[in-house]
Amino acid sequence: MLYYLAKRLGLSAVVVCLVVLVLFSLLYFIPGDPVTIALGPRATEEAIARYAEKMHLDEPVWRQFLIYIGNALTGDLGLDVFSDRPVTAIIMERIGFTLALVGAGMGWAMLLGIPLGCLAAVKPNSWIDRITGVLSVGTIAVPSFLVSIWALLIFAVHLRWLPAIGAGEPGQIGDQLSHLILPAFAIGLSWVGYLARMVRASMLEVMGENYIRSARAFGLLPRRVIFGYALRVAILPTITLIGMGFGGMISSTVFAEIIFARPGIGKLIFDAVMARNFPIVQGAVLVATGLYIFVVLFSDILIAWFDPRVRESL
Amino acid sequence: MPKDAQHAPETLLDVRNLSVDFRTPRGRVKALRDITFPIRKNRIVGIVGESGSGKSTVLWALLGLLAKNAEVMGGEARFGDRDLLKASEAQLRATRGEEISVVFQDPMTSQIPVLTYGRQMLDILYRRPDVSAAEKRRMAVDMLAKVGIPDPDKRIDQYPHHFSGGMRQRAGIAMALLTGPQLLLADEPTTALDVTMEAQIIHLLQDLQKELDATVVVVSHNLGLIAELCDDVVVMYAGEVIEAGDVREIFHNAQHPYTRALLECDPARIDDVSRKLPVIPGDIPDLTRALSGCIYAPRCQRAMPVCRTETPPDVRRGEMSQARCHLLEGPHHDPDWPPPLDVMTVGAGETSASKPARAVSDKPLLEVSDLNVQFETVGPLRARLKGIDQRHVDAVLDVSLSVAPGETVGLVGESGSGKTTLGRCVLNLVQAQGGSVRFEGQDTLNMPEGRFKPLRRDMAMMFQDPVGSFSPRKSVRALITEPFQIHGVTDVDLDAEAERLAEMVRLPKPFLSRYPHELSGGQARRVGVARALALNPKLIIADEPTAGLDVSVQGEILNLMADLQAEHGLGYLIITHNLPVVRHIADRLAIMYLGRIVEEGRTDEVFARPVHPYTKALVEGVPQPDPDRRRAHVSISGEVPSLLNRPKGCDFAGRCPIAQDRCRAEKPPHVTMADGRRHACHFPIGQ
Ligand SMILES: Nc1ncnc2c1ncn2[C@@H]1O[C@H](COP(=O)(O)OP(=O)(O)OP(=O)(O)O)[C@@H](O)[C@H]1O
Ligand code: SF4
Ligand code: SF4
Ligand SMILES: [Mg+2]
Repeated sequence: MLYYLAKRLGLSAVVVCLVVLVLFSLLYFIPGDPVTIALGPRATEEAIARYAEKMHLDEPVWRQFLIYIGNALTGDLGLDVFSDRPVTAIIMERIGFTLALVGAGMGWAMLLGIPLGCLAAVKPNSWIDRITGVLSVGTIAVPSFLVSIWALLIFAVHLRWLPAIGAGEPGQIGDQLSHLILPAFAIGLSWVGYLARMVRASMLEVMGENYIRSARAFGLLPRRVIFGYALRVAILPTITLIGMGFGGMISSTVFAEIIFARPGIGKLIFDAVMARNFPIVQGAVLVATGLYIFVVLFSDILIAWFDPRVRESL
Repeated sequence: MPKDAQHAPETLLDVRNLSVDFRTPRGRVKALRDITFPIRKNRIVGIVGESGSGKSTVLWALLGLLAKNAEVMGGEARFGDRDLLKASEAQLRATRGEEISVVFQDPMTSQIPVLTYGRQMLDILYRRPDVSAAEKRRMAVDMLAKVGIPDPDKRIDQYPHHFSGGMRQRAGIAMALLTGPQLLLADEPTTALDVTMEAQIIHLLQDLQKELDATVVVVSHNLGLIAELCDDVVVMYAGEVIEAGDVREIFHNAQHPYTRALLECDPARIDDVSRKLPVIPGDIPDLTRALSGCIYAPRCQRAMPVCRTETPPDVRRGEMSQARCHLLEGPHHDPDWPPPLDVMTVGAGETSASKPARAVSDKPLLEVSDLNVQFETVGPLRARLKGIDQRHVDAVLDVSLSVAPGETVGLVGESGSGKTTLGRCVLNLVQAQGGSVRFEGQDTLNMPEGRFKPLRRDMAMMFQDPVGSFSPRKSVRALITEPFQIHGVTDVDLDAEAERLAEMVRLPKPFLSRYPHELSGGQARRVGVARALALNPKLIIADEPTAGLDVSVQGEILNLMADLQAEHGLGYLIITHNLPVVRHIADRLAIMYLGRIVEEGRTDEVFARPVHPYTKALVEGVPQPDPDRRRAHVSISGEVPSLLNRPKGCDFAGRCPIAQDRCRAEKPPHVTMADGRRHACHFPIGQ
């Protein structure tokens, strides 16, 4: 287990370095001089030289890269070009909103999608199975930004049931929650479909296994057979799917945060790219990558926790 | 058996006129028709029959767990004052696992891999709310101890994959008996197990039945197992009970021609190995068609014109004894039927001689010497981190073996003994770490694939599971001629070749356009043989050539292989754990245990006088199809150790009944005896 964790963490570090490298080279090759952007077109020679030195821009690229990695390790992601505030602090202010959104989106999708998939698998070709089938195809086909726009138009603008933009007043949980509903609905909707389909398929497979027949032959209650036995095995591929799908989820938050004008990492990255605010882009993408790696690792550990065979092979 | 001597045993479960249909796209499969037989209290009832005869369907119907497309068309199953076929789902649930319990065929797939045995057993006891969890756990531990699981209070917290096959089946039996059911149903309880494990499980079931006064129903297609274990026997054919009776009646005085034919086909019963193997020609009838007359008529050795039109009478001679045949009663009664058991009533089918005198050349075709194959178990980095210095296991250890043209060598051993690895190594599919493999004098060990490829035409492999190894989208014609394509042979007429090969293995021409799933087990096996023969090889390596085949078909395949050998002078290396089969076809036997050959010699001699204690255990472990030859004890206990902890001395020392201190200290070397037999034992039997 320790060996496994060490190996995984080592791999993760390599992935993070690669991501930084890619970001670095991207920013290096795209047009636009960071110094001009930071200081404006009318900056004096002297100011430019001072800024370049401060940001280590006069060093060779590989040095810049190493310095960046070294700083990132200590939690220093550099300074915002415009406000001079530490990037880390800016990201920390926003990350909570994104995490809440992703959590709520994935949460309601799981609460609805997993049971739907189970029921559909237990009674194949019943009305609930058909509805689930139509629902899955329908929701998977619709891109989340369209759902966002429509949800915004219908529930916020037309019906005026829910607030349209922002994340709610700080400190007021109720207000914040009501602001969370629409974006979470929008980014979770297609996941209801994915999860229902996935769970249905693996449940159907597992329900045909010999050990399910054994459980029924021992007279266990259907409830126990379905949730205690079949789902326990069938959920494993779903956990992997959720872990892997987390990346897609983060990209759909970009749209949701823009459309609903929510402060969050997605919107932060978008704004920073528009403004060529490189330190913010780098820092935010790095944090998002780290988050993603963490979630995948977490889902693998969860599987190991559910499945003793995996646990022992670690 | 004292229980016979007393009053007639009462009936625990009475199955009457049970009929079951399956709705399928091809039409209704009339899987069970009018099944009637009693299950008598405190007896072990065996249900025998070929694959597809409906044995499992009977069990699942009794439990109310038939597949969704099944429909019970009529009949009753009286269990006490209830009819199980009409019971509600809730009533059935209260019966299942509590009054009637099941042991499953394949313990590898029938136990949930992600729950501990403790959890699974606690779940089975969920209907006892007044018993505390601690008390339930104690019951479970006691039951595990009873079925012979060592350290039950620790092992109960382990998962199924921590148990070996035999242990899992023991645990499966413990789970089934945990609630103290009145009736235990066992569907092929030992089919997935090795020979020595099978003997132990048969014994365990027998002991537990006596101890717990339970009634047991065992489904099997293994006649030896039925004779060894059962008191009553029900013989099924194509969805009907064609005969039932006391085990001695069935095995010594079978009334129905089918029962008789089954007994005659069992290789374990045929002591004279030079005789050809009898077969029942034809296949089980298509159950979607309307049936008239006797169901067995198309294959019956005594069929008369009346058999095809008139339903034979049900002749009953007692509560249990019944048989369905025109020969037994009525105008077509034959007073001389059945003839004594040593008179054969079925022939050897379409194929001829099984063991013709054939020229066995003394220049070997294949010569393996001191072969070693190791597998890496842990990576170098992990081994360093964890301080493991034994990074490899020896899957094949110092193996020497030879096959001459026209000779059949049987390679026998339990699962994990390295048989298949050895076969693959000969075919250059696995890298070896030492020794040599010579084919017609040429050293082929670890040859680069480019140089080995032409040799592959001279050696062919017959796979264990033919259907699984065929591409499902290829027709039989394409499958048979695939080897030509693989080897880039283009100067032949593929269609003509396909027909030639099909004829060689006696596969009717129309089958060439069929697909694998449309073949029966025997037909699929024929396709496997045809493929192996396609390029006129000199050596065929056959991995379990008859595994999963019914006795009636098994003979056909073995006769066919013998014929082809006589005709073409092929050398066979037959890998199997089925001793009765190798006894029939092999000239020489090599017995493998944990990757080493422990004994090697002429088949008849090895069977008559095994010198290695393991060989002796194997030979004695084969259940005999004769209830009067039941064993009083099992000659060998324990299980094959894991390759990971190979014993320091003799590999067999932990299970050997005559092991001495010396056995545990030094590995016995291979010794060649005066008559050419080789063994690896410090204290060979009878020497
Ligand atoms: N779910 C099903 N749908 C359609 N036909 C079925 C189904 N289950 C079984 N059958 C058919 O019913 C017949 C009896 O099958 P069953 O499994 O009871 O045989 P069996 O004697 O147990 O055979 P085996 O020795 O191979 O286990 C066969 O012809 C089989 O093809
Ligand atoms: S009734 Fe006729 S066909 Fe059927 S088993 Fe008897 S003799 Fe054979
Ligand atoms: S060497 Fe010893 S332990 Fe091994 S088989 Fe012979 S007698 Fe038994
Ligand atoms: Mg069966």
